[in-house]
Amino acid sequence: MSDDSIEELEIRISFDSQRPTLYVVGDIDLVAAPSLAGVLHALFDDGYHDLAVDLAGLTFMDARGLGVLAETASRAIGAGGNLSISNAPAFIRRMLDITHLSDRMVFTTSVVSRSKLGRRHAADEQLASVGEPEASAPMISQHGLVRSSTDVVDAALRLVTALAGATVGNADGVSVTLERHGRLMTVAASNEAVSTMDRHQYETGEGPCLDAKATGRWFYIESLADETRWPTFVPLALDQGIHSILSSPLVTQERPHGALNIYSATKQAFGTHEQELAALFADQASQILTTAGPDPTDEQSNERFATALTARQQIHQAQGVIMESEHVNADEAYGSLLRQARAAGITVLARACEILRSGHSPDEGHT
Amino acid sequence: MDDALDQLEKARRGLGLSVSDLWWLYFAVGGMSTELEIEAILYRALIPTATDHDMLAVALNERFSELGGDHPVPYSDDDSHPHP
Repeated sequence: MSDDSIEELEIRISFDSQRPTLYVVGDIDLVAAPSLAGVLHALFDDGYHDLAVDLAGLTFMDARGLGVLAETASRAIGAGGNLSISNAPAFIRRMLDITHLSDRMVFTTSVVSRSKLGRRHAADEQLASVGEPEASAPMISQHGLVRSSTDVVDAALRLVTALAGATVGNADGVSVTLERHGRLMTVAASNEAVSTMDRHQYETGEGPCLDAKATGRWFYIESLADETRWPTFVPLALDQGIHSILSSPLVTQERPHGALNIYSATKQAFGTHEQELAALFADQASQILTTAGPDPTDEQSNERFATALTARQQIHQAQGVIMESEHVNADEAYGSLLRQARAAGITVLARACEILRSGHSPDEGHT
Repeated sequence: MDDALDQLEKARRGLGLSVSDLWWLYFAVGGMSTELEIEAILYRALIPTATDHDMLAVALNERFSELGGDHPVPYSDDDSHPHP
């Protein structure tokens, strides 16, 4: 592996007490969160239901990362263990408190582990000195584990929903609608009432949520009593005491994929500030979906990600071999690789694999 | 006659690939540009480097081959279709 790879997240595991402790250094963002999830899942599957995560080295964490912690806490509690979080930065602690996710985690502060993380690389040696030498402190880069599970995506969306509910003024309920397997479904909802509101829209085939999803535009209904669109759905909503709805589209690379819906029992509930917040949360949810792939429930999209990454790495490595043996730059090496593949009538990847197997580039072009 | 960029866009549509689909294929063969940049290239808002053009051509042609077809998208060093 080359040294210029992206260095955003490092996870070290120490088994220095009865339970594994993960030391997280760097950013847990949309790209890196699956790595953390992968490590936690692996430990969990190995029978470790008491897990500790030290966040002293954490520099950034978004909703996706919080979703991973929330999901792990649930699994741990379900298995009779718990998730202990140490040295959580204040902003993380606050977000966990707002969403009540902190209720399900044990918080500790450990001065010792903070010092361990004072220096990224010095920490290697220190961690290696505790616990069994073999098992302690393996470093896992974010590149090895790229699969994202529906569970993690849903946990992250639930978190966005909870955050939106706690932050957007006058919000009485928040939900996320997504198209999965060709039909619309509510994947996150802050309460039963909003699930019902969503369901009314799916069943009647009309409503702001459906239109936001269909058109990719946001819909704000200030007063349902005065609303003339959606004549079947509106009376059902009024019956439930809903007076304002704000539906923002969730847009992945290509098209609207769902909607973030905020419901309120107050008329004209959402001013400019609330609308901006809603847009922010819709954007956050969209990013989660974008990273997870067009349909995170589709195993094929995970497969595609993994396959594409592997192919790409092999091609890059073969490019490196050519650059060295032919003394050319990266672009020229790619050109050479492409010519070799075409001459042999095989794919670029197949040619790259041949080069990697033989360990050198043949004298292509030296004819 | 179509120029090189027309050929890319025509092939993408011919294969029924979304820009996102094409980006994945391009990414898999080593592409470094973002999906937005690829979209900009296809819509002529951005001129691709020769390598980017070739990677897109590889992505499309290999997809054509998988489907048992020929490889209709010219590469940057194809004489018949000089790269702009």
